[in-house]
Amino acid sequence: MAKALALINDKRVRDWLYQIGLIVLLVGLTVFFVRNASENMVKAGIASGFDFLWRTSGIEVPFVLTSYTQADNILSLFWVGVANTMLVTVIAIVLATLLGFAVGIARLSSHWLLSTIAGAYIEFVRNIPLLFFVLFWYFGVIAALPQPRQSIGLFGVAFLNNRGITIPLPDQPGNFRWAALAILISWAGYWLVSAWARRRKEATGQDAPLLAIGLALIVAVPALALAWASLATAWDIPVLRGFNYRGGFVVIPEFVALLAALVTYTAGFIAEIVRGGIESVAKGQTEAAAALGLRPRRILSLVVIPQALRVMTPPLTNQYLNVLKNSSFGAAIAYPDVVSLFMGSALNNTGQAIEIIAMTLAVYLVIGLAVSALMNWYNARIALVTR
Amino acid sequence: MTFRILGAVALLAAGTSMAQAQQLTPSPTLDAVKARGNLECGVHLGLPGFSFADDKGEWTGLDVEYCRALAAAVLGDAKKVKFTPTSVQQRWPILQSGQVDVLSRNSTITFSRNATLGLNFQGINFYEGQTFIVRKSANAKTAADLDGASVCVAAGSTEEKNAADWFRERNLKVTITNFQKNDDAIAAYDAGRCDAYTAGVGALAGQRAKLKTPDEHVILTQPISNDPQGPVTRWGDERWQLIVRWVLNGTIAAEALGVTSKNVDEMKANSKNSEVRRLLGAEGGFGAMMGLSDDWMYNAIKQVGNYGESYERNVGMGSGLKLERGQNQLWTKGGLLFTPPFQ
Repeated sequence: MAKALALINDKRVRDWLYQIGLIVLLVGLTVFFVRNASENMVKAGIASGFDFLWRTSGIEVPFVLTSYTQADNILSLFWVGVANTMLVTVIAIVLATLLGFAVGIARLSSHWLLSTIAGAYIEFVRNIPLLFFVLFWYFGVIAALPQPRQSIGLFGVAFLNNRGITIPLPDQPGNFRWAALAILISWAGYWLVSAWARRRKEATGQDAPLLAIGLALIVAVPALALAWASLATAWDIPVLRGFNYRGGFVVIPEFVALLAALVTYTAGFIAEIVRGGIESVAKGQTEAAAALGLRPRRILSLVVIPQALRVMTPPLTNQYLNVLKNSSFGAAIAYPDVVSLFMGSALNNTGQAIEIIAMTLAVYLVIGLAVSALMNWYNARIALVTR
Repeated sequence: MTFRILGAVALLAAGTSMAQAQQLTPSPTLDAVKARGNLECGVHLGLPGFSFADDKGEWTGLDVEYCRALAAAVLGDAKKVKFTPTSVQQRWPILQSGQVDVLSRNSTITFSRNATLGLNFQGINFYEGQTFIVRKSANAKTAADLDGASVCVAAGSTEEKNAADWFRERNLKVTITNFQKNDDAIAAYDAGRCDAYTAGVGALAGQRAKLKTPDEHVILTQPISNDPQGPVTRWGDERWQLIVRWVLNGTIAAEALGVTSKNVDEMKANSKNSEVRRLLGAEGGFGAMMGLSDDWMYNAIKQVGNYGESYERNVGMGSGLKLERGQNQLWTKGGLLFTPPFQ
């Protein structure tokens, strides 16, 4: 008895008990809700379970990255949605970061006009709802572009109209696989060279001609590889037949509009994060660097940005997660993302709301956790190392 | 002796079970409607001719009038309805969860909805065929001429799948763009995003008026499907289903029997036709069998009118939609409308 009392009085034991109690409570609640829901559904005659995933979907999707056709099952439709969500998210994150950095640095520029324009852009973007951007780009872009018959031709192989951009598609993608391999190898080579250059600089203080090597490995090799692959491949070139161009690959206007909206909107927030990050670097750092004789651009890239990045990474992570979540606005303009295809078409066709909403939530959760894990890893890597 | 006792027991048992049959099975929905004093009816967000709220918030349309007839039959007053506008996505959950008593919403009756969604379809108040609206300049006469076109459609509607199936079976290539709402889909069509917009012919007739230049668009006459539509209830309340079904039958039977909102008083007082008398509650006590007052259909027809009156007023030649009766004519006049007898 006394022993038991002593155990309860032990703080560590008590903490464990609290934790276990909480977990049991949470699991119990979840089980209760799930059982309650499924019992009620059975009573109301509503089907439940995940068997519907293997039913034929029958839904036509205008923008598919996988090998999906409408004869495939609903699970395949789900992956189409996930792939489309990830595609627009990843590209939007990259472009929004580039644009956000440019605007943020412009905001800090001593050039009055540049900094005013950047400031106006940031204020404008931050005070307007994203849905407005999405609709503006969609209906604005569509209203401005011509009908298929009056398409704007680009070198006679790609065509821009209000159904999207139709681009030629290679008949055999084999050459492009080799080109992609070559590009990966040359990028990896650049990474190795720059790592070596950094080590050498730290050891001897000597600079390597990184710019020239970078141009060759990052730009020239890929350009050559792509040029070779394009010339060595037969192309499926779009032709105008009936209502629209046939053949090729269509980048649909919904994708372009959603991407443009996400990039322009998010860039406004990233710009402020960049400005905040740069301003957080003590002025003495810049002055000290200048006193060493570094030029302004090198001060920015060697002294200011590396320190600012530490401040910027956590709020940037939030913005990236917002891009992921905001990509669901695509449903408003018929971009076939996971919300539109799965929570829209598939849900209405099968009526299995609970399962479908749970799966969609899981998609966002998994991608979101992956993005923050990546950013946390990066944050840990660039964190100030104190010895 | 033993046989006699057994016989008496059997008789007694039969007697009790008959006495029980006299008592109506409970109907939670009917009790709730009566206690609340109004009917909760799920309708379309806005589809002229079927379900449309004007600037004063007054709902009109064929689907709306069915709910008014049901309210008149159940509560004696066609005005005692609260309409809940529902999107394509909301319609089934709102009915399943009990937020509305009945859904009267231009939704196609399908096998899988019936089998897996816990829904029951209580008859057909509109036979519809799916077709397309295209620009006159596109020179399309039938759906087959749409090869290569892009088509806007509401996501998850039966139209989305129908169109995909129809074109695939014929090896025609169309691009189908799925919008979350009918209104978004037609707005995108109007903006030139699509060559065609697809929906039921009734919906198209109503939505054409919303386009910027209605005269430049044409509705293809040949439907690619048959989409019967009618009031929907959820599973589990048989007596309520009975009421929902027979009010619909009653409005159609009234037209077949020549009972209108104008002559209903006279018919009730003077008609020699027993079916008319049973329908209007002059004999037979049919309302009481369902737990309603015997003048249930009298109220519905007096206040709302029979099916034909409702059709003409909302979607027929007397309305903005100008749809022929076609399949929605009585079977005696070459249509498909048919009701079991009031016997």
